[in-house]
Amino acid sequence: MNVSPTEAEEALAAIQAITQKTRQSIASGGTYITLIVTGLVWLIGFTCNQFAPKEIIGYIWGGLSIVGTLLGTILGFRLGRRVHSPSTSVIGKRIILFWVLLVIYGVITILIARPTDGKQATMLVVLFVMIGYLAMSLLFSFASVWWPLPITALALISYFLLPGTFYLGMGILCGGGMVALGLYIRYRW
Amino acid sequence: MAELNETIHQPVRLRIMAALVTLEPTDEVDFTYLRGLLEVTDGNLGAHLRKLEEAGYISVNKVFVERKPHTYVSATPEGRRVFQEHVKALESILKSK
Repeated sequence: MNVSPTEAEEALAAIQAITQKTRQSIASGGTYITLIVTGLVWLIGFTCNQFAPKEIIGYIWGGLSIVGTLLGTILGFRLGRRVHSPSTSVIGKRIILFWVLLVIYGVITILIARPTDGKQATMLVVLFVMIGYLAMSLLFSFASVWWPLPITALALISYFLLPGTFYLGMGILCGGGMVALGLYIRYRW
Repeated sequence: MAELNETIHQPVRLRIMAALVTLEPTDEVDFTYLRGLLEVTDGNLGAHLRKLEEAGYISVNKVFVERKPHTYVSATPEGRRVFQEHVKALESILKSK
């Protein structure tokens, strides 16, 4: 079989392109769903925090958490069908254990720190959630490791620079930012 | 000296093998996902997968998920070895230019 250097170069370029596309596709698969679902929950939830009466905020967050978890699980399960892996169930159990432990550590931290208002408590929860996503990204996909960092930065901007409209800032900057990032990864990455 | 492989060198089959080799050795990929990734038609992909399966370079696993048939494809150890050798052969052609 004879292959010219030009043909060899083209073949290697095709291999490199499809390798990169496959890696990005697998890496972005779960990331964009997580971002869009979490972003929508934050956008609606935090905007309600700013404007809705205090008595119903707990119910709104409760409902949003259930819808968000269900949506994330169903969509994640559908995407998970694309690549079959025998190690998925073992990794899945470790992911669940990690998040349960992180929640326990988060609750303990809040109990010890005793935040003086809802904003401080919210900020602590957001930081723990971002640590969780950062750990997941570092462990499973270096390609998507960057997104918890700008979201954390936006949350800190809302907390320190926009205290009067903190919840609105969290909703629009962080929630909206996540939705925008998710859509960008889905359609442009 | 690494050797070129005629079966793998065909452009669509080369891209199929490149995508499958990128996965973990124990992973398999859904047919429809692979079709979208490679931007080819059902018939075209099916025909090339058959050639690769006949050569022993990939394995095709047909299962039912919620009563719907799903076809999963993965590279065999032999397929991975032959593909790596093919890539080395291509690189050596470039180096000798």
